Amino acid sequence: MMHEAVTVTVPGAIIALLIAAATGATLWWMMHPPATRVDRIAAEAESELERLVGSIIVVFSPEIDSAHMMALAVKLARGERSNLMAVYVIEVPYTLPPDAQMEVEERSALDALGAAETIASRVGVDLTTETIKARSTSQAVLDIAKREKAQVLIMGSYREDRYVGAPLGRTIEEIAANAKCDVLIGIEGKHGSLLGEDVFTQLGPTDEDNNLL
Amino acid sequence: MPDEQRKPELRRSVTTWGSFAWGYSDVGADIFVGLGLVLGAAAGASNVAFLFAGIVYVCIGLAYTELAATYPVAGGGQYFVARGLGDFFGFIAGWAVLLDFTIDVTLFAWTCVDYVATLVPTFDATLHPWTHFFLTFGLIAGLALLNVIGVRESTAFQGVVSALDVVSETLILGFGFLFAFRPELLLHQMQTAWPTNYGLMDGISLAIVSFVGLESISQAAQETQRPASVIPRTSVALILTILIFALAYSNLALGMHPWHALPLDAHGHHQALWQYLGNNQNNGRAVALLAQQVPIFGALAALYVPILGAILLLISSNSGVFGSSRIAYAMSNGKLLPSIFQRVNAKFRTPMISILAFCGFAIIELIFAALPGLDPHAKAVYDHLFHGEDGVTFLGDLYAFGAATSYSFVFIALIALRLYDPLSPRKFKMPFNIKMTVRGERVDFPLVAVLGFIGIVSILVFTMITHIIGRIAGPSWLIIGIVLYLVYRRQKGLPVFRSRQHNWRKEQVEILRDAGELELMDEFVANVKASDARKAGVGA
Repeated sequence: MMHEAVTVTVPGAIIALLIAAATGATLWWMMHPPATRVDRIAAEAESELERLVGSIIVVFSPEIDSAHMMALAVKLARGERSNLMAVYVIEVPYTLPPDAQMEVEERSALDALGAAETIASRVGVDLTTETIKARSTSQAVLDIAKREKAQVLIMGSYREDRYVGAPLGRTIEEIAANAKCDVLIGIEGKHGSLLGEDVFTQLGPTDEDNNLL
Repeated sequence: MPDEQRKPELRRSVTTWGSFAWGYSDVGADIFVGLGLVLGAAAGASNVAFLFAGIVYVCIGLAYTELAATYPVAGGGQYFVARGLGDFFGFIAGWAVLLDFTIDVTLFAWTCVDYVATLVPTFDATLHPWTHFFLTFGLIAGLALLNVIGVRESTAFQGVVSALDVVSETLILGFGFLFAFRPELLLHQMQTAWPTNYGLMDGISLAIVSFVGLESISQAAQETQRPASVIPRTSVALILTILIFALAYSNLALGMHPWHALPLDAHGHHQALWQYLGNNQNNGRAVALLAQQVPIFGALAALYVPILGAILLLISSNSGVFGSSRIAYAMSNGKLLPSIFQRVNAKFRTPMISILAFCGFAIIELIFAALPGLDPHAKAVYDHLFHGEDGVTFLGDLYAFGAATSYSFVFIALIALRLYDPLSPRKFKMPFNIKMTVRGERVDFPLVAVLGFIGIVSILVFTMITHIIGRIAGPSWLIIGIVLYLVYRRQKGLPVFRSRQHNWRKEQVEILRDAGELELMDEFVANVKASDARKAGVGA
């Protein structure tokens, strides 16, 4: 079959360009409709959440039981692809040197952070852990939040007994009052927390753990 | 609230692109049919015919955009007309749309086979009319069966096909204009092949075929996310995209130098590209044949455009099947049609009676369209009675008639709703309005709607003048429908020419709330309160 010669004319080229540009521009404009109030609220919430959970630190200490909040933190981190860190702070009293051996507390730190690592690995989230010894738990948490540029601190609560009217622990109040980032505090209800309880129950000590113990 | 009392709500799953694709798979397929028909009728003035119909189409599009964004319900045109002009006119508009949907099923199934015939000549309607007839019949029956048993193509598939087609058509036109467009050839064809007034009117009446289907977007309004914001965008984008394509194709067909030598016509004469695309043998697959003639890109286009076109046409045919059952359901819900059209089959959970009834009409239309090709005696009768219109043109006539009738009422309804329902917030409004006061309310009188009404009535008149079949079959369809409507309303003890009682204020609040347009709902409620306060103040 014979092919005729190809002829490019200026009007033809201009029209071709106009067709492509007009079609593309029309579709781009269509795909960006004006936002409604509901859209704006949703967008702000999403952006806030993104900002909130860009880098998460879960705080543990003898005074702060965050086991049930770890499961929530892992779910948040997975959904938002956040950096997740678990920190255990051991408060060293002024009566002891800063590098004093505190076997019971260190053992508790290993348990708490080990469990945190297991929860994170089960859902495929990378977790970094750190044990810190400090004179003041609250100051140590605030410092590490600053160092890591944390956007949210997550921690459980400590109360004398399960009396709902009791104030939160002093350390938690100090962190909440002075943190430059958002603080998410999980307060157990009257009947305990369902958050992550099953996870921790399922975890239990493994045979390997028992051997180590 | 007990579960059995809880009203199920329709999930809003149609996204911005989904809404566009919904309309595009209907309107976008039209150019595959319309181009050849218009070239055959309007010859060197095909671009002018498309321009005239395109201007009217822009007005129609703007009207539908305003109405669908203001009243995001599933009924589409018939709902707007029933609300603006009353039940009787709502029925006529809906009945005309139903004619279009049944034609849609037949016409697009027919041209789907035509496009496949580009690659498989055994399916050619001229060479093998019985094969073509049975294939088209099989497609319609197959679509009816699939819809009865509840199988539908996925909306994602529809979206992908629409996206591919937009890209493909942009490439065909882009390469066509870049490598083969000769402005002097365009001018030459317009001067030497300018049609008679009759031919131009014929072309304009068929050109509107390329723009029918905006109804689809408004029908999907109830399922669209944020309809008041999204529908204006998707409708305007659809209007512009289709307009660009239609005008570009018609100018390219007149001004393009073909890449391959064209075959001689039946009398052994050389023919221009528009003549080749517009003759009875090729007018059902003009876009595929034009794409083949685009330099360089045509080699690839020759392989995939017939397939892509056939898929798009099949989707469009399918949209006619479920569109007709949806609109019949909506009309039945509004007491414009008997409740049988609302009946859902217990086994398949689909409106089986509705689907089979309208697919049955589609098959009757197919027989009428195919008869002259199948039987020489029938051809002689058609030649005598209908000036020898071919099958595709017959279907195109009725398509244009149904659309023009329905759109005419939509324009009047829009004007009526502007005057009598000024309190409903309009996130999109047709431009060029005259401010006036009606019954104590400030209203905007839409000049573009008047222009559009004049345009579409002209097209309706052109259709009646130039097409004997359109002149007979179209009004006959309406008369049969009106008789059925009158009998039904009388039997049910409903007002025949007047409307049933409606609490439009309450209904509008529910429509906007169900649409998730809470800001508009607040605005509407505030408008109503302010209006009532004003009137109470005046009364006091």
